[in-house]
Amino acid sequence: MAQTVTDFQPLDYTRYDFKDPETYKVRTAKGLSRQIVEQISKLKSEPAWMREYRLRAYDHFVERPMPDWGPDLSDIDFDAYTYYANPLAEGETKRSWEDLPPDIKNTFERLGIPKAEREFFGGVGAQYDSGTVYHKIREDLQKKGVIFTDTDTAVKEYPDIVRKYFGKIVPFNDNKFSALNSAVWSGGSFVYVPPGVDAGIPLQAYFRINAKNVGQFERTLIIADKGAKVHYIEGCLPAGEEVLVGDQLTPIEAIERGQPVLNSDGVETIVEKTMVRPFQGELINITPVSIGNRFSLTPDHPVLCIPRARVAWRPRPSGSLGDLKPGALLTASPEFVPAGELQPGDFLHYPINQTTRDDASLGEPELRILGYYLAEGCVQQINGYEAVTFTFHIEESEYVNELSRAIESVTGKKPWRTPQPQKHAITIGVYSKELHAFCLKHAGKYAAGKHLSKAVMELPPAKQRIVLEAYYNGDGNRYERFGTVYRVMTVSRQLAFQVQELQARQGIYATINVREPFDEAMPDGRRISHQRLYTVYYQVGKAAEAVHRSGDAFLVPIRGIERTPYEGNVYNFHVAGTNNTYLVKGFSVHNCTAPVYSTDSLHAAVVEVIAEPYAKVRYTTVQNWSKNVYNLVTKRAAAEEGALVEWVDGNMGSKVTMKYPSVFLKGRGSRADILSVAFASQGQIIDSGAKAVHLAPDTSSKIISKSIAIRGGQTSYRGLLRVAKGASGVKAAVRCDALLPDDSSRSDTYPYNEIHEEDATITHEAVVGKIGEEQIFYLMSRGLNESDAIHLILMGFLAEFAKELPMDYALELNRLIQLEMTGAVG
Amino acid sequence: MTTPANATHTLSIKDLHAEIAGKEILKGVSLEVKSDELAAIMGPNGSGKSTLAYCLMGHPKYKVTSGSARLDGQDLLALPVDRRAKLGLFLGFQYPQEISGLSMAKFLWTSYAQRHPGPDVDTSAFDANLSTHLGYLDMDNSWLKRSVNEGFSGGEKKRAEILQMATLEPIFAILDEPDSGLDIDAVRSVGETVSKVQKESPGMGVLVITHYQRILKYLNPDRVHVMVDGVVALSGGRDLAVELESRGYDWVKAPTSTS
Repeated sequence: MAQTVTDFQPLDYTRYDFKDPETYKVRTAKGLSRQIVEQISKLKSEPAWMREYRLRAYDHFVERPMPDWGPDLSDIDFDAYTYYANPLAEGETKRSWEDLPPDIKNTFERLGIPKAEREFFGGVGAQYDSGTVYHKIREDLQKKGVIFTDTDTAVKEYPDIVRKYFGKIVPFNDNKFSALNSAVWSGGSFVYVPPGVDAGIPLQAYFRINAKNVGQFERTLIIADKGAKVHYIEGCLPAGEEVLVGDQLTPIEAIERGQPVLNSDGVETIVEKTMVRPFQGELINITPVSIGNRFSLTPDHPVLCIPRARVAWRPRPSGSLGDLKPGALLTASPEFVPAGELQPGDFLHYPINQTTRDDASLGEPELRILGYYLAEGCVQQINGYEAVTFTFHIEESEYVNELSRAIESVTGKKPWRTPQPQKHAITIGVYSKELHAFCLKHAGKYAAGKHLSKAVMELPPAKQRIVLEAYYNGDGNRYERFGTVYRVMTVSRQLAFQVQELQARQGIYATINVREPFDEAMPDGRRISHQRLYTVYYQVGKAAEAVHRSGDAFLVPIRGIERTPYEGNVYNFHVAGTNNTYLVKGFSVHNCTAPVYSTDSLHAAVVEVIAEPYAKVRYTTVQNWSKNVYNLVTKRAAAEEGALVEWVDGNMGSKVTMKYPSVFLKGRGSRADILSVAFASQGQIIDSGAKAVHLAPDTSSKIISKSIAIRGGQTSYRGLLRVAKGASGVKAAVRCDALLPDDSSRSDTYPYNEIHEEDATITHEAVVGKIGEEQIFYLMSRGLNESDAIHLILMGFLAEFAKELPMDYALELNRLIQLEMTGAVG
Repeated sequence: MTTPANATHTLSIKDLHAEIAGKEILKGVSLEVKSDELAAIMGPNGSGKSTLAYCLMGHPKYKVTSGSARLDGQDLLALPVDRRAKLGLFLGFQYPQEISGLSMAKFLWTSYAQRHPGPDVDTSAFDANLSTHLGYLDMDNSWLKRSVNEGFSGGEKKRAEILQMATLEPIFAILDEPDSGLDIDAVRSVGETVSKVQKESPGMGVLVITHYQRILKYLNPDRVHVMVDGVVALSGGRDLAVELESRGYDWVKAPTSTS
């Protein structure tokens, strides 16, 4: 028997250069209080007026109730957040990339900031959680008197300007979240453009929330003096948009600290620490003889294996693998080999899960029912009563009788039987609320969603055997091919892997094959979509030659290795105990790919824009927060005589967004142009809109709102158009277009108009559209597949917005929508 | 300049039956078209001409109940719409769809890349062909910036369909009433362009569906097929079109069921 892996030397982790992303020089305690507010102010060595302002805002925040309209925010626990965390020491802001800590530098380099700075922008700022880590402005702009710095620095260096404007456009008592921001704000940009100066190329800032439960509360103040002109762009990007988990790119949500995982001894252990690093290069895709267990790793990622060279004769000249030396495999001990050095034919280590927890409530009849349920069962409501039904082939009376007895012993009710002769089937069923709930709890529902509960997966192997037997009775088949092959097929990926694990605990290594999904056109013109199908099979009589049992593990040879380029974050974690290993697709590795943050973050920013007479300000936002961020932002501008303010505002990410960029048209002839886009997918609520408040004569405003909701996402347009008494000659136009490509999503429009001057010219259009079958057919007739066709239609819908964006943001938008659309329709 | 002359391709339709919303429209269409010919399908309103076009392309609303349609032996009916297009089938729509925000340039290029996949797509050949064909149709480059069919007049939409046909270089182009709603000059421009493009692309067969003879003047069809009541009732040379123009369709009778 092989040694267990715990006997090996621990690995030297420094070799892999993983950085802990949550090292902060300064960090306040969790939660919010007057003391925390005072501490933040003290850390920043602020003048008394700012400290007083923060404290008044804090008092108002405490008193102010949550908004009683719009999306539900009741899940926000203000005590769960850290209100200030800075990766640099206080007052430290880097002016050269080289000086940044490597993990932060990597993060922003991946986002292309240094390049952007050189090529497209007049100045760049970067904020990482609460701290501004970088700020730089081009010299020529500096010479013209343009100020671009973080707001903390501005409070110290330009107190007169800051004090004149800070909180004047968005007072702290405007709303609960402006009060929160005013109390705990940190970072953000301060821009001042002197009279008559055109800043030319845009100034840009990037914001990123990196740690979990850290709030981001930046404060941005932009002042364009008389006749000045400036374009400011902010990009808010998610922490690791895609992470690599096993063989697929998955959004951040899977593994957290404290979560149990299996190590290479098949023993459950706890995740102690999670780590992340950006990675650019080749990934190694390893396909074992069981194709379904394919997985991907970075090349330096250690994998537990027995290299074939150690246990086999030399390969034959024909190129086929060498035969094994008798007995060599069983006495060989596995070792860690970097994934990049693995060869086809090497043996991967698949440990058998040793975790066992018996559950007395899961007895033989219950388990038998579960097995048949996996194969043939269905939970349903019949005439309003919960029922469980099973459909068998007419000739399977033996199984029908067995199942009936089990149902009767569990529920005390005799199940009914309905023969369906034309289908050669018989349905048996029982009305039972308890059995309905039991099946849902332990086996899920719908073919693709069936899976076994943790309780079942941890039962002693002898009990699990009952589930397997019934499942194979119901769904399995056998055929002869070099011995007897048993197989089951399922469209549930999770169930396929669970069956493999259960079989391993029976001492059988079952192989998983995958048939990719495809569409089949029937002669009558119908199209049948076949889902991805997993086949789990094993052979008795003559054991599958390739796989060997060694102690409490199987040794599974590698069938093929491919290399593919990858750019993105890769994840890793430490587990508790001396055996710092875990399993990927069942195989032992030393570190791999695991996502990190899954708790909500809070972003509550305030942006104030002042456009003095005849100034022009454009403020562009492309916001793609992680889908666990509450994004509650107050953005408001004041436009003096003849000034123009443009908001270009794109909201894609986040869990909940509430944001209504506003312009107060205070001076005669001032103009406002607000273009906003919302894209909400599964689990997202984007409540956005615009406000134009006409306080002076001859002012004009144009509001265009475009929203797309897919896969159950929700968007709302909430708009206010106000024409005050005395503001004559106002022109205002509002257009809201919503696109709902499917039936599960939702879009609402809440326009509020308060018009106090009769001569105002107001137009309002609102259109909710669907993507027509005819449009899709038209594009498909030109060779595009269905999802590309829909993607083109969506991008067309957003074109008006995309053309206002710098190229790299427009590309990001395109990529994002493509990602979200995958599998959305059809 | 376009695809070199290939072996002749065959579009073969046998006893095709199809219905929409339960109503049978095609009642056994049989037809064979070669890629070196320009064929016309004529017939009165409601005879099933457009239905035939939609069924060949795979419109989801039409249900083929029996029969076959094959391109060089490949079963078209078993393929999704985009695969039929990739194989070389093209449908010029009578009423093309508008797609807001999608520029003609992007649309043409994306479609072209589907028809000619691979890393070596020749963008300069694409550009050169595109400007030649724009010239044929009296269209200038500003068209390419406009959203697909959005705000196009009836005539512009028809010309845009022909432009797509010329760009994509299909094996078989089915043009569904490319002349409807056009004034006489526009009919000539469309007709002459189709004829010219086909001559320059010897591998391309064209099947023109039309109600009237007038566009055929510029097309000189090799074959004329007449559909009546869901079947091809009569086939002939170009003289048949002239005869139909003077005598109308009433004298052509659908054959009694042959099944």
